[in-house]
Amino acid sequence: MKPVPAQNEDEIVVITHEDVDRAHDRVRVSEARAQRGFSSRARLLWLLVGPGVLVMLGENDGPSMLSYAATGAKFGIGFFLPFVALTFCMAIVVQEMTVRLGAATHRGHAELIFDRFGPFWGWFSMIDLTIGNFLTLITEFIAVRAGLGFFGVPPWISILIALIVLYSALMSHRYWTWERITLAAAAFNLIFIPVALMTHPSWHSVSHAFITWQPLPGFNKDTLLILLADIGATVTPWMLFFQQSATVDKGMTTKDIRFGRIDTVLGAALATAAAIATILATAPLFAHRMTADNFQAAEFAQALQPIIGRFGASLFALGMVEAGIVAAITISTSSAYAFGEVTHKPHSLNLPMGEGKPFYAVLTLCAVAAAAIVLIPGLPLVYVVLIVNVVAVLAMPPALVFLFMLVNDKEIMGDLVSPLWANILSAGVVFILTAAGILFGISIIAPNIFTALGGK
Amino acid sequence: MMRKDEVHAAPADQSWVLNSLEHDQLARAKKHPIPRRHLKGPELLVLWALRIYLLFMMAVVAYQVWLAAH
Repeated sequence: MKPVPAQNEDEIVVITHEDVDRAHDRVRVSEARAQRGFSSRARLLWLLVGPGVLVMLGENDGPSMLSYAATGAKFGIGFFLPFVALTFCMAIVVQEMTVRLGAATHRGHAELIFDRFGPFWGWFSMIDLTIGNFLTLITEFIAVRAGLGFFGVPPWISILIALIVLYSALMSHRYWTWERITLAAAAFNLIFIPVALMTHPSWHSVSHAFITWQPLPGFNKDTLLILLADIGATVTPWMLFFQQSATVDKGMTTKDIRFGRIDTVLGAALATAAAIATILATAPLFAHRMTADNFQAAEFAQALQPIIGRFGASLFALGMVEAGIVAAITISTSSAYAFGEVTHKPHSLNLPMGEGKPFYAVLTLCAVAAAAIVLIPGLPLVYVVLIVNVVAVLAMPPALVFLFMLVNDKEIMGDLVSPLWANILSAGVVFILTAAGILFGISIIAPNIFTALGGK
Repeated sequence: MMRKDEVHAAPADQSWVLNSLEHDQLARAKKHPIPRRHLKGPELLVLWALRIYLLFMMAVVAYQVWLAAH
């Protein structure tokens, strides 16, 4: 896809604010690319990094960090450390395809599904995304409420703080500024690393777990639920929609795909480090035989306080708040992008408020409605968190098949269709996710089957 | 008539924007839908199978929620 040649001198072409802002970003990329040397390569990486890191750290959200915390508390250091690293490898395989799709077509994921497969399949896909995103958004505000609850902040003030941060990121009406603000906030996801170090983990046990994948957990319903929750903590449908739309909004082209891949791998590496740190941080609860079945963020922080002190526990609670807020920003943005794409309304973070009213209205409405639900007294918040990750895993295979078909569509992808090895890997991911979902279904319908198979 | 999200740029500015962006990156270009693709039998089969799988599993999740609530 080649740039349009310059127009005649006297011809007036109508362009939008969105085009002008995106052109500014592209000029900076072109200037950095034209130069040689390490510093210009580093600058190019700085300019092009964003959607991949945001999607991966965004997916280290409230329910994900709670799943990792529950994993550490329930199973300690063992099988789940390499397993979580493996799930992030699956996420890289999947998300790399969205970078190629976005860069090659300059269209969002929802838009491509509607255009290529028609509204019948498009609406199915949108319903999956809308329900999944809304449920996940609720859990993000649960995490914020629980995290700030550790410091004695009342729920309604916690929710208000989260909404103010979300709105502040939007106020620039510029994709670049929004991305940098959200990236800065997402960097706080790494707060779980010092918390893990405070627990003085046994590095011998950690390396043994990575090499041998042992000790193995017992084969039962609880293990399966945590397994599913940990998969759902790394690969979910909103990630596909978000990264492709953000790649398009950022203005990335086929020349930028290599940096898009680096961005995705970098994001996955950072997110893996934070996820493993969270498991290590709560592993002492397993060693002390503490039951953490109904723990929220605040309870985890309180339970860790005797081990890592008030400061460490506060960092843990703040990490949960960050996880919730960053994910609330990215997930509500993903909903707004998808809405704009299927209704053909303007959908860009480069739009001024007056021009992008439907886009910003959907974004705000999703966030406010989810936030309001969290304030309902007596809601079983912990259960909602667990179920949301399970629903994410179940909704993933249909979403992946759409992605698989689009990324192998020669008419829109040209030479950028997936190579055979990428197709084999993505088919493997679909198989693993479908099998995990079916096992979960069997565990509910016939719970005694695991005992019959030799489980606990 | 000019829409409020549109900017009338001077020719020099136009060429700067148009040279910086690929043709289909322009906001106006995105208003044109990409042509529909004809789905083949096996593709439809997979899509329907996964749709049924999802609906069935959602019923299982609803049953799990009902069990937990009682």
